[in-house]
Amino acid sequence: MVYFPPLMNRERIRNFSIIAHIDHGKSTLADRLLQATGTISEREMTEQVLDSMDLEREKGVTIKASAVRMQYTHNDGQVYELNLIDTPGHVDFGYEVSRAMYACEGALLVVDASQGIEAQTLANLYMALEADLEIIPVINKIDLPAARPDEVAAEISDLLGTPPEEILRISAKSGENIAAVLQAVVERIPPPQGDPDAPLRALIFDSHYDAYKGVVAYVRVFDGAIAPNDMLQLMATQARLQPVEIGIFAPEMRPTDRLITGEVGYIATGLKSVGECRVGDTITLASRPAPQPLPGYRHPKPMVFAGVYPVDGEDYEDLRDALAKLQLNDASLVYEPETSQALNFGFRCGFLGLFHMEIIQERLEREYGLDIITTAPSVEYEVLLRNGEVVRIDSPAQLPDPAEIEEIREPWMKIQIFTPTEYYGVVMELVTGRRGVFIGQEYPTPNRVQLDFEMPLSELIVDFFDALKSRTRGYASLDYQFAEYRPDDLVRLDILVNKEPVDALATIVHRDDAYRKGQALVSKLKELIPRQLFAVPIQASVGSRVISRANIKALRKDVLAKCYGGDVTRKRKLLEKQKKGKKRMKAIGNVEIPQEAFLAVLRLRDE
Amino acid sequence: MDTSYSLYLHIPFCRHRCAYCDFNTYAGLEALIPAYAQALCREMAFLRQAAGERPPIHTLFLGGGTPSLLPITALETILQAAHTHFSWHAPLEITLEANPGTLDRDYLRAAYAVGVNRLSLGMQSAQPEELRFLERQHDFGDVIQAVEWARRAGFENLSLDLIYGLPEQSLARWEQSLSRALDLQPEHISLYALTLEHGTPLSHWVDRGLVPLPDADRAAEMYELACERLDKAGFEQYEISNWARPGHACRHNLQYWRNLPYLGLGAGAHGFAAGYRTVAVRASTAYIERLQNAGAPSVFPRTPATAEAIPVDRATEMSETLIMGLRLTQEGVSLQRFEQRFGQRLEEHYSAPIRRLRRAGLLEWHAEALRLTPRGRLLGNRVFMEFV
Repeated sequence: MVYFPPLMNRERIRNFSIIAHIDHGKSTLADRLLQATGTISEREMTEQVLDSMDLEREKGVTIKASAVRMQYTHNDGQVYELNLIDTPGHVDFGYEVSRAMYACEGALLVVDASQGIEAQTLANLYMALEADLEIIPVINKIDLPAARPDEVAAEISDLLGTPPEEILRISAKSGENIAAVLQAVVERIPPPQGDPDAPLRALIFDSHYDAYKGVVAYVRVFDGAIAPNDMLQLMATQARLQPVEIGIFAPEMRPTDRLITGEVGYIATGLKSVGECRVGDTITLASRPAPQPLPGYRHPKPMVFAGVYPVDGEDYEDLRDALAKLQLNDASLVYEPETSQALNFGFRCGFLGLFHMEIIQERLEREYGLDIITTAPSVEYEVLLRNGEVVRIDSPAQLPDPAEIEEIREPWMKIQIFTPTEYYGVVMELVTGRRGVFIGQEYPTPNRVQLDFEMPLSELIVDFFDALKSRTRGYASLDYQFAEYRPDDLVRLDILVNKEPVDALATIVHRDDAYRKGQALVSKLKELIPRQLFAVPIQASVGSRVISRANIKALRKDVLAKCYGGDVTRKRKLLEKQKKGKKRMKAIGNVEIPQEAFLAVLRLRDE
Repeated sequence: MDTSYSLYLHIPFCRHRCAYCDFNTYAGLEALIPAYAQALCREMAFLRQAAGERPPIHTLFLGGGTPSLLPITALETILQAAHTHFSWHAPLEITLEANPGTLDRDYLRAAYAVGVNRLSLGMQSAQPEELRFLERQHDFGDVIQAVEWARRAGFENLSLDLIYGLPEQSLARWEQSLSRALDLQPEHISLYALTLEHGTPLSHWVDRGLVPLPDADRAAEMYELACERLDKAGFEQYEISNWARPGHACRHNLQYWRNLPYLGLGAGAHGFAAGYRTVAVRASTAYIERLQNAGAPSVFPRTPATAEAIPVDRATEMSETLIMGLRLTQEGVSLQRFEQRFGQRLEEHYSAPIRRLRRAGLLEWHAEALRLTPRGRLLGNRVFMEFV
């Protein structure tokens, strides 16, 4: 069924997104707006429609952007078309956020009334300002006991110059003041610009894969219009396509007969891979191409790499299929087969960041029911060999013989940490303790400081975010971008279990940290590897030199004291459970190693 | 009916629930005992009816709970009913589990007189602070008295239960309890490592950090110490947790470990007969009600109290024969009996796990039987796991 919306006057279109830190209530607000505009009924309302994946709901963040169209009758009596473009809420998806914002004219800046502004909010706010968006600040969760809306209003006012009394105060949860938000969207956000007569230019700000319709591109039309029969062309990838259908999100996909300048909707491309239809690319008409694409297209590169292995070798094919399916929806996931001496056959996967990696890992386990082992994440190193050749490696196991190495370079990041000023000292200590270099500071509001550093990515991906959170009691927030590759004195730290090196446990570290990290890793492994029927030595070594060791004592007692007639069934179940736990472990030589051990390097506490 | 059964009767009453206990028992419901005893007798009658004849039995075990809370008249009624509804194969072993704090001279005399010939006393420890910690409602003096009265009453088969591996328990304290137990010259001793059972007060204390987790390595040392001491004192270990003077192994429990059929009556009791594992309704009130309201006959081995009857398939029976049988540290699982029972050779059916476990030093062949090595006794789960 094709839906014919009233042809909208461009003056009555508003495109906007919501900027918020994780947990500040973005999804709840989005739900309220959908309800208030009658886009979805109470009955249809499953909490947080925009976050469609379970995982997102659980983690309280939006992983992929989404869009939805609302019809809103303003108090001027006119019906407006409001397009809400949801943005991913995590630091790993900064590029996707920037594209989603570029598709808008305005943004709601949602700040939690008790938490105040955080780095994520700030980073996204800067992105929004860069995209020239009209910002409508909103203080949310004013009904919470810990709310301090006046202070937060003052903070926002310092930041944006908006008079505190003009800042909306709402509770998305209770629905308080939601009407005022809708009014502000219409009154303060400008209608989209663009030339309806110019050749088509539509920005892809997100996509998903549909088994029947191929890649569905989420687009914002900047110039011209799209009709279902148009032959289209992607300007960066050069792919050509005849749309399967075009339409809008209402919030489900609803076909339309056209998308005009300023509108937001989708194009079901029929393309078989999201790689051909990348976020940030510009869609134009094949018959009348635009001379210039929209600016800002980038090909996001994976920054973090890890081995993903099936616990049971027989699941290898299933793992490959699952990765292929995930990649259909996620162009930033890359993988290739890898073989480990310890873990046999698996895949080396590349992710945008640690969070992205966790999401993929959990989806493989939950949605595809796979038992997997993920090795400690690594970054991509550039190794300059004595013969002048440069090789890139993304796994410690690939590091060439030290005798051949002239220099190892690693990626450095620019990081911004936004924190209440009282944590200045602990943040400084944390970052410099991880080879971070202080660059500068700014006080966007009186009680908060933004600290700028440069830091190796390898230090950032190992538990840094958790350490930052715990030391600042959750108040500090973090954002980062790639800076450059820099050489340093790096070595491979090998781990030997029962005298056998386990390649999947090797890491590349700074020489000065090798001893400390080796010790910490060995004691952590001693904790994580359960006692076996025999004693197991654990050693850390650099080259042939053992720098730390510990011994896991042999297991002495594991037997049910009592087992009489009545207990058999229950005791049997206990044994079955125990057996299952054992099966989930990976046997390396004679030693059974649980999955957590392969991530031990992430769990080292900085003492 | 040519199979001979063991008969288990469950008495789910206690004055106080011990801190570590997760058995099906209720404190403060002693007022239900007369009605419960009647229900138990009715259940026996139903079982006999279902069987179509008096099922033959060679052991009878009154377990709990605290069966010694049964007034002597109730005990007598129950044993009489057992005599009426079952065919007794002499010599019948009739065990009564008893809390030493509930006994007196007359009671023991009367119990012996009505047929009880084996007494299993929950001594647990000779240390007052350990008994307090476990929330036992007796002291070691009660145990000495109970043993003396029991001997005078005529009991020639006494068993003592002890618990080891308590949090912060020292080897020396344990050795003392063990010596005190040996001083009492029982025919049989059961030693149980303290196990944290989910939902017990003890496991709550540990979860909340009020009590340290028992140290498994120290428990292993205590076990080894006990093996040595008991061996010197002339006891034979015949099961992972059980020792007896020659000829005094508990015949009732042997029936379980040999995976042979038994009938379990009473609230929450389990049985294994005619290819079914049966479980009776758990709550004592529900149990009484069911038997009061019962009319229609059941199909053996069910009774009106049966909540579940789960058929045991051959593979399960085989694996349970190993899980249970390997607990028998001397006799193990006999090759011949296994083949007779299942028509398959044990060493062929389980060749891979047996090979692995022998190589690991946990299993051994001995006199045409498969059994745990001394090291395997402490690592039994690692062995049993391979057979589930």
